[in-house]
Amino acid sequence: MEESPLHAFELHNYIPLSIGGMDISINKAVILMWIVVALAAVLMIMAGSARRLVPGKLQNLAEMLVDFIRGIILDTMGKDGMRFFPLIASLFIFILFCNLLGLIPGSYTVTSQIVVTAVFACLVYGLSLVMGFILHGAKFLGILVPPGTPGWLLPLMIPIELISQLARPISLAVRLFANMTAGHVILGVLFGLAISGGVLIGWLPFAFTIAMNGLEVGIAFIQAYIFTVLTCVYLGDAFHLHGHDDHAH
Amino acid sequence: MPPSQDPFYAGLGQAVRIGTDLLAALIVGGGLGWAVDTYILGTNPWGMVVGLVLGVIAGIRNAYRSAMRWPESPQEHERKG
Repeated sequence: MEESPLHAFELHNYIPLSIGGMDISINKAVILMWIVVALAAVLMIMAGSARRLVPGKLQNLAEMLVDFIRGIILDTMGKDGMRFFPLIASLFIFILFCNLLGLIPGSYTVTSQIVVTAVFACLVYGLSLVMGFILHGAKFLGILVPPGTPGWLLPLMIPIELISQLARPISLAVRLFANMTAGHVILGVLFGLAISGGVLIGWLPFAFTIAMNGLEVGIAFIQAYIFTVLTCVYLGDAFHLHGHDDHAH
Repeated sequence: MPPSQDPFYAGLGQAVRIGTDLLAALIVGGGLGWAVDTYILGTNPWGMVVGLVLGVIAGIRNAYRSAMRWPESPQEHERKG
C-alpha cells in the first residue's frame, strides 16, 4: 500500500453546497473549525461562569491564558493596545486550539490550509492599515520612510520599505501554514516507516513519531504565540508611528 | 503556557520567524519586479532582477529588525527602566 505523505491534507466534501457559484461545501476542515469554536467557547464560558475568588482548575487555566495574552499586548503595544484584547485573544485561542486538536491522530489541522492562515494574516494586516490611516491620516505613509533617512537615500529606501511591508502578511500566513504542514508531513512519513518496517525495525521510527509529537505540541504553542505577537507588533506599528525605534512612549 | 516561555522554544520560535521573514520579502520583491516587467514596463528581465535584489535587502532588514526587537532579554528591561 503506497500513500503520499500529503494524503492527510486532502479535503473531501462531505456535503457539497454552493451559494451563487461560491463553494461552501462542508468538509473535514470546516467541521474541525466548528469543533474548535465550540470547544473554546464552552471551555472559556465554563471557566468564566464560576467567578470564584479562589479559582478552581479550569478557572485557573483560563486566568493563566488571559494573563499571558494580556502580557503580550502590554509588552508590544502598551496600554492603548488593550482595546484589541478581544480580537487578539480570540485569534490566539482559535489558532492554539486548531494546532492542538490537529495533533490528535485522525483529526485534521485546520491551520495547515493556507487559505485559513492567509485570511487571518490579511485580516490582521488590513486592520493595521485601516487603523493607521484613521489615526494618522496621510502621515501614515511615513511608515515607508524610516526615521533619520537622508534625502538622497529615499528612492532606494521607499521600495525596500514597501517590499518589507508587503512581506508582512505573506510571512505571517506562510509561517503558520508551513510549520503545521511540515510537522504533520514528518509525522506521516515517520509513521509510514514504522508501519512498513514491521516489528523488528519499526519500533525505531515509531519512537521518533512519539518524540516528534511531543515537539509538535511545543510548535503548536509557539506558532500560536508568534502569530499573536506579530499581530500585536503590526497593530502597534500602526498605533505609534516609528514609536518602536526609540521607545520614547 | 510553559513551552513558549522556555528559552529553548523561544529561541526556536525566533529562528523560525527570521527564516520566513527572509523568504517572504524575497517572494514579494521578485513578484513585484516580475509584475512591473510583464504588465507595466515590459523590461524583461531587469525589473525582476532589481526586485529580487531589493527583496533580499528588505528581507535582511526585516530579519535584523525582528532580531533586535524580540524577545527582550531581562537585562535590557532593566536598562530601559
